[in-house]
Amino acid sequence: MKRWTRRAFGGLVAASLLTALRPARDQGKPRVVVIGGGVGGATAAKYLATSGHNLDVTLVEPKRRYATCFFSNLYLAGLRSFESLTHGYEALAQRHGVNVIHDSATMIDPAAKTVALTGGGKLSYDRLIVAPGIAFKFGAIEGYDEAAATVMPHAWNAGPQTILLRRQLESMEDGGVFVIVAPPNPFRCPPGPYERASLVAYYFKQYKPRAKILILDAKDSFFEQDLFEDAWRRHYPGMIEWLPAQFTGGVTAVDATTRSTVTSGETFKAAVANVIPPQMAGHLAQQAGLADHSGWCPVDPATFESTRQPGIHVVGDAIIAGQMPKSAFVANSQAKLCAFAIVAALTGGKPPVAHLFNTCFTLLAADDAVSDAIVFKPAGDTIKISDIFLSKIGESAETRRQAMREANGWYDAFTHDMLG
Amino acid sequence: MIAAATRRTIALSSVAAIVAGAILLATYHSATAGPDDGAQLAALCASCHRLDGRDQGIPTIIGRDEQDLVRTMRAYKSGEREGHIMRAVGLSLSDAEIATVAHYLATQTHKTTRP
Repeated sequence: MKRWTRRAFGGLVAASLLTALRPARDQGKPRVVVIGGGVGGATAAKYLATSGHNLDVTLVEPKRRYATCFFSNLYLAGLRSFESLTHGYEALAQRHGVNVIHDSATMIDPAAKTVALTGGGKLSYDRLIVAPGIAFKFGAIEGYDEAAATVMPHAWNAGPQTILLRRQLESMEDGGVFVIVAPPNPFRCPPGPYERASLVAYYFKQYKPRAKILILDAKDSFFEQDLFEDAWRRHYPGMIEWLPAQFTGGVTAVDATTRSTVTSGETFKAAVANVIPPQMAGHLAQQAGLADHSGWCPVDPATFESTRQPGIHVVGDAIIAGQMPKSAFVANSQAKLCAFAIVAALTGGKPPVAHLFNTCFTLLAADDAVSDAIVFKPAGDTIKISDIFLSKIGESAETRRQAMREANGWYDAFTHDMLG
Repeated sequence: MIAAATRRTIALSSVAAIVAGAILLATYHSATAGPDDGAQLAALCASCHRLDGRDQGIPTIIGRDEQDLVRTMRAYKSGEREGHIMRAVGLSLSDAEIATVAHYLATQTHKTTRP
């Protein structure tokens, strides 16, 4: 029979005190830390926590509420409230047992396998997922810095920037010119700038019918261009003008004081200007050495483990993913495969079969939506398209209305999949 | 003698083959699909279909007849049934994967759904 000595008792008290001081995490379980609570990070955290393999999952995200970039153009058009785009992390914590920490990661130590937090805490991990999203290359367009963005918003992260742009559009006089500066590849949400033009045109058509939209592009073509141009002719004749880089040389500078955008040949003065700058992987990826000279993060296409930092996985917009676009759906798809690969690695299970998808619903008017469906497969050190299906010009109005109903159903299911 | 012995061996092998086939059929899901496979394949569906039975514009796919789900998925895959998103999903799945995910989804109810 064990006899309790004073020393053993003292040790026990100390141990239980320590346990009480620490967050109640089981030290025996494999620990996965996820940094970033966007689509990629939240989805990965949820699927790790619901894998049935008893993992200790921590999600680090500074914001308490997440606003979706996808569907934020509906808010700009007055077709959705900002509140309807905003979601909390409560279900991840309460329903699925994810340890959600509202703090920022300041430093990753890959050798010690720890993450330092702004609040002073430190997290240990067996595997780390970094989902840092995008950062903007301020300064790539002369005069476009964070201060200029408060006058000429990018609105390419959903939040205060999106609300600012909506207010500017609302207070714009009828007859004004709304300029959109579209970024070079690769960038978040390839159809996004053109969907934005479409839905702002939908708003203008009702409230400011003499207004014009001018898209100054850094490219000479864009995704689903024929579908957009067809919709612009049908819904908004004469309202939207798109100028490719080959005509203008692209936007080289902006002047926030006059809301002007400067190309090699011409200066365009805007009533409202939406400057979407060139992009790169989020700052933490740059600081942690996860990004290469391109500014994006190279990864193994089957596991999303960084090729630069073993044991650290990167998912979502920040990575180099071959032919996969930077979309919310892709981030969700990558995050699931990454989570399953990590579960297999930590539990000695068999590696998952890669199923990678993208579906984007693109909204052209209140009752006109199109979609794409793309299947991807890892191929060597990259990811390639294996099947692609796109909506077509000339589809019936009912087909497009049905796509809009599906788009709304998708939003509900998709946000539930990542955060519900 | 030799011929008879050979015949008996062939007969026995046939029996063995039939028995093996029956066992294979009976354990189809557990033999070809790991314990996580159904849930991992259903995770693909969950990007568009809520797996808690709610339907906000995209139909629910849990708790339905398993064979009906298999037939529907195969019809999308062959193009016999229209819908380019489901066609893409169908083409990405093998027939065995369609069987596995249909079995998983058919056995899900509001309470047992994981994600």
